[in-house]
Amino acid sequence: MPTLRSLVPVLVAAALYAGLAAIVTNSYYQLTLTLVLVWAIFGLSWNLLSGYTGLVSFGHAAFFGLGAYTTALGQIYLDLSPWLLIPAGAVIGCLAGLVVGIPTFRLRGHYFALAMLAYPLAMLYVFEWLGFQEVTLPIKRESPFAYMQFSDPRLYTLVALAMLVAVVVITRAIEGTRFGMALLAIKQNEAAAEAAGIDTLSWKLRAIALSGAIAGAVGAFYAVVLLVVTPPSVFGMLVSAQALTVSMFGGVGTVWGPLIGAAVLIPVSEILHAELGARIPGIQGVIFGLAIMAVILLAPEGVYWRVRDRLRQRRAGSPVTDNRPAAVEASVVSFAAPPLPARERRRTGAVLLSVRGLSKSFGGLKAVQNVSFDVHEGMILGIIGPNGAGKTTLFNLLNGFLRPDAGQVIVDGRDRVGERPHQLARAGIGRTFQVMRPFLRMSVRDNVRVGAYLRAASEEEARRLADEAVDRVGLRGAADRIAGQLTTKELRLMELARALAGQPRLLLLDETLAGLGHGEADEVVAVIRRLAETGITIVIIEHTMQAMVRLVDHFLVLDHGAVLMDGEPERVTRDPQVIEAYLGKKWVAHAHA
Amino acid sequence: MTETTRHAPTRRTLLAAGAAALAAPRAFAQSPAEVKVGLLVPLSGLYARPGSVMRMGAEMAVDHVNKAGGIKALGGAKLRLVVLDCGDTTEKAKNAAQRMVAQEPDLVAASGAYLSSFTLAVTEVTERARLPVLTLSYSDLITERGFHYVFQTSATAASQARQALPLIMRLAETAAGKRPKTVAIITDNTGASVASAKPMREGLLKEVGLDLVMDETFTPPLSDATPLVQKVRSTRPDLLFFLPTVISDAKLVLEKMNEFGLSQGRIPTISFGIAIAEPDILQTISPSLLQGVLTCVGSWATKGHEELVKELKARFNEPWMTQNAISTYGDVWVIRDALEKAGKADKDAVAEALRTMDGGPSKYFPGGLIKFDQKGRRVDAEMTVVQWQNGIPVTVFPRQLAVAEPFWPKR
Repeated sequence: MPTLRSLVPVLVAAALYAGLAAIVTNSYYQLTLTLVLVWAIFGLSWNLLSGYTGLVSFGHAAFFGLGAYTTALGQIYLDLSPWLLIPAGAVIGCLAGLVVGIPTFRLRGHYFALAMLAYPLAMLYVFEWLGFQEVTLPIKRESPFAYMQFSDPRLYTLVALAMLVAVVVITRAIEGTRFGMALLAIKQNEAAAEAAGIDTLSWKLRAIALSGAIAGAVGAFYAVVLLVVTPPSVFGMLVSAQALTVSMFGGVGTVWGPLIGAAVLIPVSEILHAELGARIPGIQGVIFGLAIMAVILLAPEGVYWRVRDRLRQRRAGSPVTDNRPAAVEASVVSFAAPPLPARERRRTGAVLLSVRGLSKSFGGLKAVQNVSFDVHEGMILGIIGPNGAGKTTLFNLLNGFLRPDAGQVIVDGRDRVGERPHQLARAGIGRTFQVMRPFLRMSVRDNVRVGAYLRAASEEEARRLADEAVDRVGLRGAADRIAGQLTTKELRLMELARALAGQPRLLLLDETLAGLGHGEADEVVAVIRRLAETGITIVIIEHTMQAMVRLVDHFLVLDHGAVLMDGEPERVTRDPQVIEAYLGKKWVAHAHA
Repeated sequence: MTETTRHAPTRRTLLAAGAAALAAPRAFAQSPAEVKVGLLVPLSGLYARPGSVMRMGAEMAVDHVNKAGGIKALGGAKLRLVVLDCGDTTEKAKNAAQRMVAQEPDLVAASGAYLSSFTLAVTEVTERARLPVLTLSYSDLITERGFHYVFQTSATAASQARQALPLIMRLAETAAGKRPKTVAIITDNTGASVASAKPMREGLLKEVGLDLVMDETFTPPLSDATPLVQKVRSTRPDLLFFLPTVISDAKLVLEKMNEFGLSQGRIPTISFGIAIAEPDILQTISPSLLQGVLTCVGSWATKGHEELVKELKARFNEPWMTQNAISTYGDVWVIRDALEKAGKADKDAVAEALRTMDGGPSKYFPGGLIKFDQKGRRVDAEMTVVQWQNGIPVTVFPRQLAVAEPFWPKR
């Protein structure tokens, strides 16, 4: 739950807003005050799904419209009060979220966005076909309050404000916990999130259900304010766009974004409409459009982030760059000394991972062919091979991203083929990626915490596990820095820490040394060795051999998807077949000479 | 909102009150120099064009009322039109209405808001603010909510559906000398067209003794009208109901009819609503193709409006006077009559005057009286049949309002 302190700015803003609403007696200005809140809540609902997971929804009007029709039809046919129908709208929105989410989350990126677009458009026609082109909420002259038909428009603003504060508290509560972390992880890299043990589908479904519920509730309230519900006014393209506009203007992925967006855009558009609409009809749309374009150009991620980055820069000033490497190097430097001490080779422990006859083809390309090997507890296995040898495909088969055509992946004596990545992560297989996907705006500590939720039962424990992992890779001094300020080496270490925070027994490292300078690679190698000392089994992919020779206990050489050789580092580096695969035939003779 | 008991005044008390008001010395009448009348219509977005035509009608009427001496009961006070843009969405219309009642508290009445859904939203606001609103919108729902401050000058949609077919039958009989027997329907599947075609299929045609020989529904946009028109040619109906929404579809079908020798009224083609008779349509379809096409609309410039049409043309360069212009023109005159009757520039008094007035036969709306029933609907409101003749849609029916003879094939 968000602490009371973190809610202070929100509560202060709400109190000021309520104060403003109380002194506004003009019913038109009051209506604008109400609508600002309506669109802010709708923006927050959109933000909860799209802002945090990065899955852009062009169809939030579907939930909004269902909520609006819940109020309208519920009052007309069942004579229920909006006081009941608003919660009912939330329930319907929530269910609609699940119904929409289950099939649609199979899609990604643009395809998801476009599929979402279809739902409100389809519903628009369904409601027209059902004969609900124009539905008005019956006027209640006897008991207006019971039917939320206040004669004092200030009450609408207060109801909306209460809803907004509730939604902000919910959003805040999500932001700081594993729910929010899971969504952020999905946004950055869904594959990596799965690998870190996050059941992405279930979190996404929770997000869309909650988002749908909020949209449904605010849609239900909107019907009370508008009094007339037509399919275009609640399912229309402009409604979905409104959620995007306020969020993108204000800032995506933060609770403040939709609030800022709605507070600026709605009154501006109303003022333009009121002042210019009757004089130069149409000009209001042009000015509004240009203003949004200007802001998007100046602050592409939204006003909030722009202002925040500015303030941070000013507060931090220049010394940021100066103090950065010291802390990290202090803990790593001793290992960077040129010749690394020889490591006692281990390959005798119990077999942790056993791969048998693993094969995978993509069309005619045999990416992995009949690969078998064993990984003993505590050893470091290096998988090498030239580019395109099938190394990353092999990893993807091991941690469940791909399903093999044939073969077994036996972890602890159990065949795990067919399990999803987050399940394998739970079974103790951690992984890093060739292409780094840090959460750039989050601190190192928070980045690592995402991985810790795999094992942590509470926020407290997640924090502790994250801190431990940060210590183990030697990043303690940098723990509070923003990931966006780190060097490549530090980022690699941070990714390592994120995988470690999930307490894996087996760590799959995909080209962890890529892109590092000579000295830097040695530092990372030192960290990996230290991890191995503590009993973590490691499988590492590299296509360069130098750094690996001193690191690993055993090599597996792949070429064209098949095992070329399986042996000790000394043997492998002298093997003519390996040299040929890497350097071409003429170097074989050279090597023998 | 608490409603004070509404006592229906008898005619006698009203006459007495009216006489008293007239008899009162002018100096005692509260006589503001200006009386504000609202016009809330779409001036931006998709419906800006019809909205601006409504504004033309309103401006002309205000000038005419003022030139004729203003509101005599108020010492010759002049009308002033307050124009507000209701935009192109229900929400914008509702906001604009809220703005109207909040910023212009001294309005005595208003007219608006073109689309039924806009009028529905607008009147939710004006009802609560007790501001009387006159509207040309058709939807029955507008006057079915038990509201006391909304007045519908056109025949409602349901009433038009009942009136249109007998009207067409009478027109055919007068023009051709015999009753049509067979009918074809070509309609697109948009909401408004479906709403018009459905009751015809489900009994209205049978009631007037028409046999439906062809019934085709298409999804806009049409890519080729040949199969549709071929069917029309082979079934040779006495009447064709053609209900397009998209102008390009209308164009395709009319062009094909022309190609097949079915146009120029050889098969009387009848549409519903104002879309096919708006001046804009000439930008896309040549007037020769439209020759003879009929449409049933709630109101149009009719006999006796010749001067108005001329003025509209001279002042605003509008080629003819559609429902939007003439109805809004009429609204202002109704408001003026109500002000005369109320004797004070007060919205509640004007509303009461509208509820109780009996202005005799209507001058600017087809048929019926300047009198509103319990629901706020104009009593005995009729509709008009308009036909394209030589590049202009003119009223051809009912007889007493027609400005031209209907053009009908005599077979």
